[in-house]
Amino acid sequence: MKTTPDNSGDVRLSGISKTYGSFTAVHPLDLTVPEGSFFALLGASGCGKTTTLRMIAGLEEPTTGTVRLGDQDVTHLPPYKRPVNTVFQSYALFPHLDIFENVAFGLRRRGIKSVKKQVEEMLELVQLGEQARKKPHQLSGGQQQRVAVARALINHPKVLLLDEPLGALDLKLRRQMQLELKRIQTEVGITFVHVTHDQEEAMTMADTVAVMNGGRVEQLGAPADLYENPRTTFVANFLGTSNLIEAEVDTKSGEDIVLKAGGGKLVLPEARCSAPATSGGKVLVGIRPEKISLTHADDAGSIPAGRNRLTGTIADASFIGVSTQYVIDSPVCDELSVYVQNVERDGRLVPGADVVLHWSPAHTFGLDAAQDIDAGTEEEVAA
Amino acid sequence: MSTLTEAPPPLSPTAPEKKPPRRRGRFTPYWLLLPGILWLVVFFALPMIYQASTSVQTGSLEEGYKVTWHFATYWDALSEYWPQFLRSVFYAAAATVLCLLLGYPLAYLIAFRAGRWRNLIMILVIAPFFTSFLIRTLAWKTILADNGVVVQTLGSLHVLDVTSWLGWTAGDRVLATPLAVVCGLTYNFLPFMILPLYTSLERIDGRLHEAAGDLYARPWTTFRKVTFPLSMPGVVSGTLLTFIPAAGDYVNAELLGSTDTRMIGNVIQTQFLRILDYPTAAALSFILMAAILAMVTLYIRRSGTEDLV
Repeated sequence: MKTTPDNSGDVRLSGISKTYGSFTAVHPLDLTVPEGSFFALLGASGCGKTTTLRMIAGLEEPTTGTVRLGDQDVTHLPPYKRPVNTVFQSYALFPHLDIFENVAFGLRRRGIKSVKKQVEEMLELVQLGEQARKKPHQLSGGQQQRVAVARALINHPKVLLLDEPLGALDLKLRRQMQLELKRIQTEVGITFVHVTHDQEEAMTMADTVAVMNGGRVEQLGAPADLYENPRTTFVANFLGTSNLIEAEVDTKSGEDIVLKAGGGKLVLPEARCSAPATSGGKVLVGIRPEKISLTHADDAGSIPAGRNRLTGTIADASFIGVSTQYVIDSPVCDELSVYVQNVERDGRLVPGADVVLHWSPAHTFGLDAAQDIDAGTEEEVAA
Repeated sequence: MSTLTEAPPPLSPTAPEKKPPRRRGRFTPYWLLLPGILWLVVFFALPMIYQASTSVQTGSLEEGYKVTWHFATYWDALSEYWPQFLRSVFYAAAATVLCLLLGYPLAYLIAFRAGRWRNLIMILVIAPFFTSFLIRTLAWKTILADNGVVVQTLGSLHVLDVTSWLGWTAGDRVLATPLAVVCGLTYNFLPFMILPLYTSLERIDGRLHEAAGDLYARPWTTFRKVTFPLSMPGVVSGTLLTFIPAAGDYVNAELLGSTDTRMIGNVIQTQFLRILDYPTAAALSFILMAAILAMVTLYIRRSGTEDLV
C-alpha cells in the first residue's frame, strides 16, 4: 500500500493564520510535514492546534497564507475535493448507518460500486470484522474510534488528520490505541497529522512534534530532541517536568558556561543554552528530574568531581512503583523534583533528610531568563 | 426555556431533614398518574363508549334512540359518503406534502443558518397561534377574494388557466375551489410541521456534516445521505401532526370551499348539528378514526423510524 515517494503527501503550510474578529487563533505559521511522517501538533486547549488541523482539512478557511499538498494548492478547495481525511474528535460516526456503511461512505461518494472487499479488508485491519452490521452506538468507545480510523483510511488519503482521536478513551485503552495507530501508520505509510494535548501521546507516536502555544509554534523537532533540548520554558514545562533554576552567568570556560546559583557553581554546555550568555546576565538552568541523583549529605564525599551539585532537604517523597518522586527544598530553588529509580533504595532518604543533588553537566540546558518560569506547567495550563 | 435551567428555590429551613420512609413513596407514581387518568376516563374513554353505542342505535329524535346493534349504519354511511372520505384523505395528503415542502427548508434555515435570527423566526412561525383559527381562516377568504391581488395576479399570469384545467380552481375564481381548501389547510397546519422538523434538525451534530464533507460528499449529497435520514423522526411526527388533524378538519372546507369540496368533517358536522342523525355521524367518526389509525400504522412501519434513536 506504500505510495511512491513523489512528495505528493507533503503538507506545506505557508504563512497561514486564522483570526475570528479580534481574536487570533493562529498566528502566521510556516510548517512542512514531510510525506509519510507521523506529525503531532501538541499544545493545551485553545493553542490553535485544532484550528490549524481544520485549515488543512478545509473545514476552516485560513485568513492568510496557503495550504499545499505536495505541489497542489488546496487553500480554496472545499473539503470534499481534498485528498485528505479526518478522524474527528468524538468520531462523528453516522448514527443512522451501520459500521459497514460508515466505512464505505467515502468510497460510495466517489462512485465506487464494489466496496465489499475493500471495506472488509479495512475492518480486518482495525479488527472489527465481526461488527460490520452493528450501529455505532452499539460499539464501545475504543471500537468506535477504530471505525473512525477505518472510515478515513479506506479512502487512501494523502494525509490523515487526527483531531484528539484518543481523548475520549480511558488511559489503558489510550495506550493500546496509540500503539495500534502507530502500527497502522507504519503499515499504510500515509502522512499522519495528529492533534493532541497529551505530551506523552505525542512523544510515543510521532516522528516530529510541533509544540504550539498561544497560536504559535514554540518548538518543532523529534520527541527526544524536544525533551532533551527545550528552547523555551513552555516546552520545558509542558513536555514532561523540568526543574528551572535562576542563575547568573559567571565565566565561560571552553565549551562550557559556569554559572552562580545561591553560592554554588553550576556548569552548562554552551551548545545547550538557547539564551545569550553574557557575563553577569541571568539564565534559567534546566534539569530533568530523572537525571538527578540523590546522595545523603553524610556521603557527599563519594560524589565524583565534575558534577553539578546542589544541597537541599527532602520535603516530600512519594513511592510510585518503578520510581520514587522526591520534592526537595534547596536554598537556590524551592520544590525541586527528583525521580529516583527504585533499584537500591537508601533508607535514609526520607522527608527531613539533608541531601546533595548531583547530575552530569551534559544533561543541563539553559533558557532565556526573561520568560515566564511557570509557562506550560500544569497549574498555568489549567488556569 | 430559561426558567427550566434556573436553580430550584431553596428549601425552607423548617423542612424536616429526615427522608420520609420509603413505604410512603412507593405509590407516588400512581398518585401522580391519577389526575391524568381521571381526565382521560371522563373526557376521552366515556365519550368514546357513548359514541360507539350511539353508532349502533336506531330510532328518531321524537321516539328516542335505542341500541339495536344496527351495524348496517356503518355500511350505509360509508357507501353514501365515500367520496368525502377520499376527498378528505386527498386534501389532507396534499396539504401535508405542501407543508413538508414549505416547512422543511424553513426548519433547515432556522436550525442551521438563522444564527441570531433564530428566535425571531421561531416567534414568527408560532405567531399565528395568537389569533383564532377561525379568524385566520376567514382572513384567507379575503386573501383569495375574487377581486383580490392574489387572484388577479395569478389570473394575469395565466396560472389560473392551468389550475382550472387541472380541476383545482374554477374559471377565474380561487375561493370555493379545492385549491383554496388545500391552501387553508396548509397554512393552518404548517407550524405543526415546522416545529417537529426543527427539533429533529437542530439535534443533528454539526460535525456529522463536516465528516460527510470530509468523506467527499458534496453539500447536496450530505443532505440526502446524512441530514435528511437523520431528520426522519421530525418528518414522520410532522407529517402525522399535519395529516391527522387536516383529514378531520371541516373549518377550511366550510369557509374556503363549496359544496363540491366538502370533507368528511363537514359531513359529520352536518349530520350531528343539522340533520341530527346521531348514529350516522358517530359511525362516520369511527370510520374516520379507524382509517387514520390504519394509515398511520402503515406509514410508521414503512418509514422505519424506530431505528432512529
